[in-house]
Amino acid sequence: MQDTVIDVHDVSKIYNPDTIPVPAVNNVHLHIRRGEFTTLVGPSGSGKTTLLNIIGGLDAPTHGRVEVNGVNITALRPNALIAFRLRNIGFVFQSFNLIPVLTARENVEFIMLLQGATREQRHRRVTELMRAVGLTDKMDARPAELSGGQQQRVAVARALASKPQFVLADEPTANLDSASASNLLDIMDKLNREENITFIFSTHDARVIERARRVITLVDGRVSSDTDRVETAHRHG
Amino acid sequence: MLLLIAWRNLWRHRARSLAIIFSVVLGIWAGAFLVALYYGMGRDRMRIAIREEVSHVQVHHPGFADDQDAAFHFSVDSLAVAVKEMPDLRAYSCRCVAQAMLANASGSNGVVLYGVDPEAENATRGLREMVVQGGYLTNEKSHQLMVGLKLARKMKLNAGAKVVLTFLDAQQNIVSAAFRITGIFESSNAMLDERNVYVRYDELSTLMGIEGRAHEVALLLTTDAAVPATVEALQQKLPQLLIEDWKAISPETAYIISAVGGSSRIILIIIFLALGFGIVNTMLMAVLERTREIGMLMAVGMGKGRVFAMVLLETLLLTLAGTPIGVGLSLISVSSLSKTGIDLSQVAGNMMKGFGLEAVLYPWLPVQQLGEIIVIVIITALIAAIFPAWKALTLKPAEAIRR
Repeated sequence: MQDTVIDVHDVSKIYNPDTIPVPAVNNVHLHIRRGEFTTLVGPSGSGKTTLLNIIGGLDAPTHGRVEVNGVNITALRPNALIAFRLRNIGFVFQSFNLIPVLTARENVEFIMLLQGATREQRHRRVTELMRAVGLTDKMDARPAELSGGQQQRVAVARALASKPQFVLADEPTANLDSASASNLLDIMDKLNREENITFIFSTHDARVIERARRVITLVDGRVSSDTDRVETAHRHG
Repeated sequence: MLLLIAWRNLWRHRARSLAIIFSVVLGIWAGAFLVALYYGMGRDRMRIAIREEVSHVQVHHPGFADDQDAAFHFSVDSLAVAVKEMPDLRAYSCRCVAQAMLANASGSNGVVLYGVDPEAENATRGLREMVVQGGYLTNEKSHQLMVGLKLARKMKLNAGAKVVLTFLDAQQNIVSAAFRITGIFESSNAMLDERNVYVRYDELSTLMGIEGRAHEVALLLTTDAAVPATVEALQQKLPQLLIEDWKAISPETAYIISAVGGSSRIILIIIFLALGFGIVNTMLMAVLERTREIGMLMAVGMGKGRVFAMVLLETLLLTLAGTPIGVGLSLISVSSLSKTGIDLSQVAGNMMKGFGLEAVLYPWLPVQQLGEIIVIVIITALIAAIFPAWKALTLKPAEAIRR
């Protein structure tokens, strides 16, 4: 049996609780196991991004808690939470969000510098990751010199640089053309299958949903369905 | 890496970075130049006070120092022996002094009447070089008088005119004597030009009944630094007399010089406040423009301390980039003007004389003051960067990333 990486216990998020309360997430329970390739889907305003932010420790729930490898991250103090994110969670954002003044190599290396990795460790890991995302020839290019797809691949490499427990990807293909999106998904799929890296996406993109092995649908902040396609496939022989 | 990011961030918006660098350059230059003007003014005032007015050291009878009473005099001979032993002595002048009334057909005016040896007085005070009309005191003619230009204008006096001086002698008897104006002088201090008049020592001492005695001896030394040692040495040799340095004799000059530091600091504060607001504005713009990027940095695990340090570091780098240029510009302009001077005779010549200053100002920037300005600029920049850096810390990563 696969071990649980993320436990979401009865999480709710209400924006503006004191003025005009806007419930974004309602009593969500989830368990994400190591090595899953999961998507959170749902219409706009269904709470996908809010839930993803709560899981990633970027936002605090109004109620409930999130545990990552048994650590209740909702109880961590801000600085401890930042340190926790640095060592345990990788992020891929919709708008790539690379540091424009750094090269692709430096963008990936930056996270490891924050972790205090040695020069040799950084060099080895950056080379390995840039090879994995197929950008060894673009190591010294700045983000402005890369296409959207290439930038997002650098972002994936950066997300993996810290060897996180899991990677959260918020609409990672939203700004990419079909070929780039497909290429990016191939890379993440490969990393998931070969290196057992846990990916959690929030997306509208059918191409991502198609590849996901677990699909959690949110409607009005609640989990309306949770389909494990691997188990389903096993059941159906 | 933080340094690398901060450095490269500077060049993302060249125009904006150059604007801050230019502000720093301007701030340092303006600060240094104003400080140099103030210090130059203070130094000029001190030089004039010593060279033209009070000399480095003066000797008086303690009673004379209190109320300028002509009865308090001392022997010149015994004093001359002690004075000549001073190793740093350049010149000295023995004077008898009386509070007098100068009168002519157009009116009268209170003056301080000095009886001086013409050559000794010239060596000590440079009186001969100040003559603008007529000639200097000589030993050939009797009852010669020198008056200042301001008094001459006020009383419509010209060289050759006759005036009557009335004063008290050492026995408090009223003495009146007629003198002919041999020359009119103009010093750098208009107030003294209105107040001081000079006759020969031998004549005045006779009239006052104190031949061979004096009320005042002024000593000009070879360096300013020799003043404390000379005062101490003279005081030991002449314990019955009062030995004072120029600061004690001209406290207003000492005050002006001590106030230079304070006044220049006030102006520096104003300049650097303006600089500080400029930096706050620009760095705040830089932070707000990079909201998403800073949000991302915090999301992926960059601690608040590092984010804060990054903004501060960017400001520090901008300041350090502008500092050498500002310092260089200050040194070039101050050193050039310290040779040629700034001629204010057309715009404020009379006003300058009213303050005991020459119309040409020579800026002077002590190295320590320049160092202070550099430190103040850097501290100002860092303080100014605190608000933008704090603003960066208040960003919530989840919201910032989506902007």
